[in-house]
Amino acid sequence: MNFDMALFVEAMIHRSPGYITEHLQLTLIPLFLAVSIALPAAVIVTRPGYRRYAAHVMTFFNAGQTIPPLAVIAVFFPFLGLGYGPALFALTIYALLPIARSSIAAISSVPGDVRDAALGMGMTPGDVLLRVELPLSLPTIMAGIKTAAVLTVSTAVLAALVGGKGMGAVIFAGINFFRPELVLAGTIYIGLLSIILERLLTVVEWFLTPPHMKAARIG
Amino acid sequence: MIQLEHISKRFPDAARPAVDRLSLTVEKGKICVFVGPSGCGKTTILRMINRLVEPDEGTIFIDGKNILQMNPPLLRRTIGYVIQQVGLLPHRTIGQNISLVPELLGWPREKTARKVRELLEMTGLAPEEFENKYPYQLSGGQAQRVGVARALAADPPIMLMDEPFAAVDPIIRMHLQDEFLRVQQHVRKTICFVTHDISEAVKIGDYLVILNQGRLVQSGTPIEILTHPSNDFVSRLIGDDRGSKILDLVRCEAIMDSQAPVTDSPKDNGARVQAVWPVKAALELMMKNNTDEVLVCRDGEAAGTLSWDGIKAHIHRISGGTR
Repeated sequence: MNFDMALFVEAMIHRSPGYITEHLQLTLIPLFLAVSIALPAAVIVTRPGYRRYAAHVMTFFNAGQTIPPLAVIAVFFPFLGLGYGPALFALTIYALLPIARSSIAAISSVPGDVRDAALGMGMTPGDVLLRVELPLSLPTIMAGIKTAAVLTVSTAVLAALVGGKGMGAVIFAGINFFRPELVLAGTIYIGLLSIILERLLTVVEWFLTPPHMKAARIG
Repeated sequence: MIQLEHISKRFPDAARPAVDRLSLTVEKGKICVFVGPSGCGKTTILRMINRLVEPDEGTIFIDGKNILQMNPPLLRRTIGYVIQQVGLLPHRTIGQNISLVPELLGWPREKTARKVRELLEMTGLAPEEFENKYPYQLSGGQAQRVGVARALAADPPIMLMDEPFAAVDPIIRMHLQDEFLRVQQHVRKTICFVTHDISEAVKIGDYLVILNQGRLVQSGTPIEILTHPSNDFVSRLIGDDRGSKILDLVRCEAIMDSQAPVTDSPKDNGARVQAVWPVKAALELMMKNNTDEVLVCRDGEAAGTLSWDGIKAHIHRISGGTR
C-alpha cells in the first residue's frame, strides 16, 4: 500500500472540510443536551434530602462510562433505528457521564461550613445554590464538560457507522477502500477540532474561575 | 430577650435526646454562655434559635414572638451568626462578605459601604487594606474578626456565637476575647455564646448555663457558679483552680478594707491598684513588690487597703473551704 500524496492533499483541502460543520453539530448538540440534563440532575442529588443517594448515582454513572457508544446504539437500535438521531442520542448518553460525575463531585465538595454560614446569614436555599455552591463548583464542572467535549469529538466518528454522518465518513471511507490518505486526513481534522475545542473551553473555564482558586493555581 | 420553653430535640439514630426539655431565658443586652463537654447539646440549642435545627418539642420566643411561626431566612437575617470555622465565602472579597446580610435586606449601596468600613475599623482591620482582599489572604485571627463583623453588619439585636475563638492560638484568642468584650461594651447585643472552655465562659459571660447530656445542670452568674457549684459535675468542669478564677472576677473594691486608712499611713508603701481592677492584679503587685498589702484607689483618691490575709479569708469564705 503506497501513500498517494495527491490524494492526501485532495482529502485535506476538498473532501474533509465539508464534514467539519456536521461533525461540530454531532459534538456540540449532544454536549449541550448532556449539560442540560446532567447539571440539574447533579443539583438534585446534592440537595440535603437526597444527598445520601449521591454515592449511588455516582456508581451508576461510573459504570455507564464503561459501555462503548456503539453498544448504546445497538441497545437502542430496535427503538430508534439508524441515522443521525440515534447517533445524537448515543453521544448524549455518553457525554452525560463525565459531566454528571464532575458536577456532583464539585457541588458536594463545597465546604459544609461555608454552606452553613450562608444559610445562617439568611440566604434562601436557592440563594445558596446560585450564589455559593454553583460559583464555587464551576471550575470543576467546566473540567467535566471539557473532558466530555474531547471525548465526544472523537466518539462522534462512530456516528458515520450508523449513517449519522460527520468526519467519520471520510475516515471509514479510507478504511473500506484501504486509503490511509483519507484516514489520516480525517484524523488530523478530528485532532485539530478537539484541540481547538479544549483550548476554547479552557478560556471559558478561566473566566468562570473565582479569584481565590486562580490564585491557588498560579501560586 | 430570648425564651426557650421545654425544648427537646432528638436526632435520628441517636441513643438519647441532644436537648432534653430545656427551658431558659436570655436577658436583653447580656452575654449568656452555654458551656459543657462536647455532645452536651450546646450547639444544637444555638442552632435552634436561628432554626438551622428545628426542635421536636417546645417553643422559642424572641421578644415575645414565636420564632417557629416565622420564615427561617427572614428570621436569620435579624440574628448574627458566628461559627468556629468562620465560613467566609471564599469567592467573595472581605467587603462583599461583610455586606452579605445588608445586601439580602436590600440596603442602598452607599449605606452598606459605609457600614462595611465602620465594622472593619471597629474590629481592628484597616478598611483600605482589607476591604478588597479575599478570605484566603487572611490569618485565622483576621478571618474570625471578619466573621464577627459580618454577623454585626445588619445590626442584629441578637448574636449567636458557636465557639468563635476556639480555632485560633491562645494568645490571639485572649486578644479576640478582650476585643469582643470591648465591642460588646458599645453594641450591647443579646448574645448566646457557646464554648467548652470554662475559663472563656467565666471571662466572657454575664450569665452561664452549664449543660450535660442535653440537660441544664446549673445556671447563674460566673461568681455564683464558681462559689456554689451545685454538684460534682459542675465542680469538675470548673476545675481545681476555682479560687484563682474567682480572683479574676472579683474587683478589688468588693473585698478591700475601707475602714483602714489610707494615705500617708505607715502602710502606704507605694503599691496602688484601681478599685475596679480584679483582685488578681492586686496579688500580682504584692508579689512583684514583695509586700502583703496594697492601696486601693478610686478616682485618684485612696479608698481602702487590700491585704494578703484579707484575700485569703475572702476566698476561703466564698468557696466554703476544702471540698
